[in-house]
Amino acid sequence: MEKILGKTKIDDWVAALSDHPQEVGRGCKAAEAATTTHWQVSAPVLEDGIWSYQSGSGSVQLEHSNTTQPPKGFSFPQREVFFSFEQIKGEPPKLTQKLPQATRHAVFGVRPCDGCGAVRMDKVFSDHVADTYYTARRSNVAYVGLACNQPQGINCFCLSVGGSPVSSDGMDVLMTDLGDRYFVAAVTDTGKALMAAGNSVFSEPTAADRKQLQQTHAEAIAQPQRAINNLDAAPAKLKASFDSPLWEELARACIGCGVCTFLCPTCHCFDINDENTSATPIKGNRVRTWDNCQFPDFTMHTSGHNPRESLGSRLRQRVSHKFQYFHENFGMPQCTGCGRCITECSVGIDIVNVVNKVAEHAG
Amino acid sequence: MPDNIYLPELARIAHIKEEISGERAIKTYRVEPVNGGGFEHNCGQCAMLSIFGRGEMMISIASSPLITEYKQFSVMRVGRVSAAFHELDVGDVIGIRGPYGNSFPVDDWRGKNLVFIGGGVGLAPIWPVITTAVAQRADFKNISVFYGARSPRDLMYKAELERLRGDADIQLSVDKAEEGWKEFCGFVPANVLDKKPSPNNTIAITCGPPIMIKFVIQNLQQLGFADEQIYTTIENKMKCGLGKCGRCNVGKDYVCTKGPVYSWAQLKQLPEEY
Repeated sequence: MEKILGKTKIDDWVAALSDHPQEVGRGCKAAEAATTTHWQVSAPVLEDGIWSYQSGSGSVQLEHSNTTQPPKGFSFPQREVFFSFEQIKGEPPKLTQKLPQATRHAVFGVRPCDGCGAVRMDKVFSDHVADTYYTARRSNVAYVGLACNQPQGINCFCLSVGGSPVSSDGMDVLMTDLGDRYFVAAVTDTGKALMAAGNSVFSEPTAADRKQLQQTHAEAIAQPQRAINNLDAAPAKLKASFDSPLWEELARACIGCGVCTFLCPTCHCFDINDENTSATPIKGNRVRTWDNCQFPDFTMHTSGHNPRESLGSRLRQRVSHKFQYFHENFGMPQCTGCGRCITECSVGIDIVNVVNKVAEHAG
Repeated sequence: MPDNIYLPELARIAHIKEEISGERAIKTYRVEPVNGGGFEHNCGQCAMLSIFGRGEMMISIASSPLITEYKQFSVMRVGRVSAAFHELDVGDVIGIRGPYGNSFPVDDWRGKNLVFIGGGVGLAPIWPVITTAVAQRADFKNISVFYGARSPRDLMYKAELERLRGDADIQLSVDKAEEGWKEFCGFVPANVLDKKPSPNNTIAITCGPPIMIKFVIQNLQQLGFADEQIYTTIENKMKCGLGKCGRCNVGKDYVCTKGPVYSWAQLKQLPEEY
């Protein structure tokens, strides 16, 4: 399904989605569908200098560069409760599962690097055994993506990691800015349903629209970007460089803040802890929160032994996971070239330079 | 797998045995399912144990799969959850989810000699293989167990080891000599080198502190063991047990799903991050 949407009509589409009873949701059970009547629409919002996806403004503004925070939190929130517990010593506890509510999120303005991020997250959370909480949320999240006619920042490098500024991977709908209007293409059945809900706000594309779309995409792909020099060689180069002294050198400035992974569209590591609200009886919640491979206690054994004790070993883990280990497990890099970890790093650690330098050093 | 992979089943503490007291105390727990739940496991697999309000910890299942009424866990008092475990009484109810990880290929080892080499609390992860092999004694040739700890009072499963004599050759050691100690004095790897088990048609299985494992492997190689004949287990910090939380990886492998059991031939291919 391919349509044209005048830029002034995007809020009408959002309004239609918000009001429209939706019967079809990806992986959504019939019982849940019956209780869910509309999509909650989220779009980039600037707040305190940080662009993030938020709902409820009623007006969708897509004239922005990519968000500071990726949209991964819709499927994998920074903090979520697995279950609550209440126990008197010597007796069985009362456990109450806190399964995610079936709110459906239509996320507008997702850029192709973050769509590709969702593809990677899906692999992690469905591999070996499906993650109960991620799966429940993910089935209710739809991405209405926006192609990048221009690189969104000076650190974009999607083309060199197998992506593209006009990629529809991970999207349900992909929109392309054609000046005063968007070319809107459904990618999945969920995307078709989203567009069907908009109905009369769309018009049919003309031959001229299609020609302009092709030209716009071709120009977008031709825009200069930064680049990982040889992606295919990276896994072997990194493997050969495991014991390289370069890692400590490259990580010397690192302050271990972890912003690189918290803002990464593919980083998925987490912690599980009990948060207590009462000591007698024992009451509390078992909670999942994002965690971070750049923190020393991430891998520290109870004995005090730490397999990744140094900053260099932790930088090596982040980079090798993205460009070697993930590739060995899933046949693709776990980096989508969004550039956030470079832009937001307060000491200038640059994953493009790191990979290129290590590869060069490996010979 | 259950509907909710993070929701533990309930289990009751049926029996507690104090193995070792003092600063690095070890207690052995038998836990039984509450409400008829429970799961089967294979030798070498682990389970995530919960104390509600304190959290979870991954512990090797230390009982043979042949025992179905209960599962046994030996826990050293070291961290937040293990310390809370040491405060438990018989009858207390905990959470358990699992089993996690791969297992020792015991069926491939029938007809062979088995040499077990354990140090400290590292006897627990290989104990299911030892007791399974002894229970099916006719299926295996010589069984020997090398086990050592810092001092005689740091040895766990002492009575159980004595009961194995006759079925297995038991070789104990302590790091430091003490009055009345009649067996080997020195580190576990040195005891192995001293007794020289034959590599012929033999599998060696070792678990203990990382430094012990390193020297055990070196000494086994010196005795002529091939990398494929040496098995060990890796313990890294774990939170999920399901290959997702991201911290137990050694190279591309999440130890909780691809491990914890590795032959040295497999393990030496991976970076040394354990």
